[in-house]
Amino acid sequence: MDAQKVDMFMMANAKFFESHHINVIRERLIDLDESKWAMISTLQLKDPTTSLIVSILAGSLGIDRFMIGDTGLGIGKLLTCGGFGIWAIIDWFMIQGASREKNMQKIQQFLY
Amino acid sequence: MALNRNKLYTFLIIACAAGYIWLYFGLPNNGLKINPVNVCLIKHVTSIPCPSCGTTRSVISLTKGHFIEAFKMNPFGYVILLIMFLTPLWIAIDIATKQKTLFVFYQKMENHLRRPSFAIPLILLVIINWIWNITKGL
Repeated sequence: MDAQKVDMFMMANAKFFESHHINVIRERLIDLDESKWAMISTLQLKDPTTSLIVSILAGSLGIDRFMIGDTGLGIGKLLTCGGFGIWAIIDWFMIQGASREKNMQKIQQFLY
Repeated sequence: MALNRNKLYTFLIIACAAGYIWLYFGLPNNGLKINPVNVCLIKHVTSIPCPSCGTTRSVISLTKGHFIEAFKMNPFGYVILLIMFLTPLWIAIDIATKQKTLFVFYQKMENHLRRPSFAIPLILLVIINWIWNITKGL
């Protein structure tokens, strides 16, 4: 793919990925076929900031985990009052990383 | 941090252990009294009980055989007791036979629950339970 296009994509979407993934994604995108650009550029990624807000407001109900797609963990959190309140607090710090990882998993389907 | 078998099992074992330890500290209080430590964030902040408030009391009365009392306290107790009872057994069997049936089951259930036809009724049930909890004043 065109390097300029890829750089534009990376600039716009850098906040959705972990910093150590960005280089890998960039290299893979450059090697990728042009025909996949439409799919890559319209990919719906989860915003880590939104999940952090949801985690702070409704973390004890597990809604943050449901939102990023960890349904099983969300149910665990919901049934136990946010893991006795402790897990809810831990997730205030974990949820951004977790949603970035989810984004990586999502884009990986197209990269390989 | 893609979820794999060992990570899920470690997490579940830790969660179950935490549950049993929690229960152990809850038991001497004869169940239906208030717990020594109240951990629910929502209840602390808003003084409204959350959907799963009262689950500890429910599980405790279940262990004593008061099934109707447990249901009246919080129906989630049945689910939690079932999970806490089955998960360690299932994991032990899986590890002994070197399989990953629980992991496959977990992923299958996750995919089922994401479908609106399953999710919406369950969400409604949780909301009804929440309203019931608030009217009960747990």
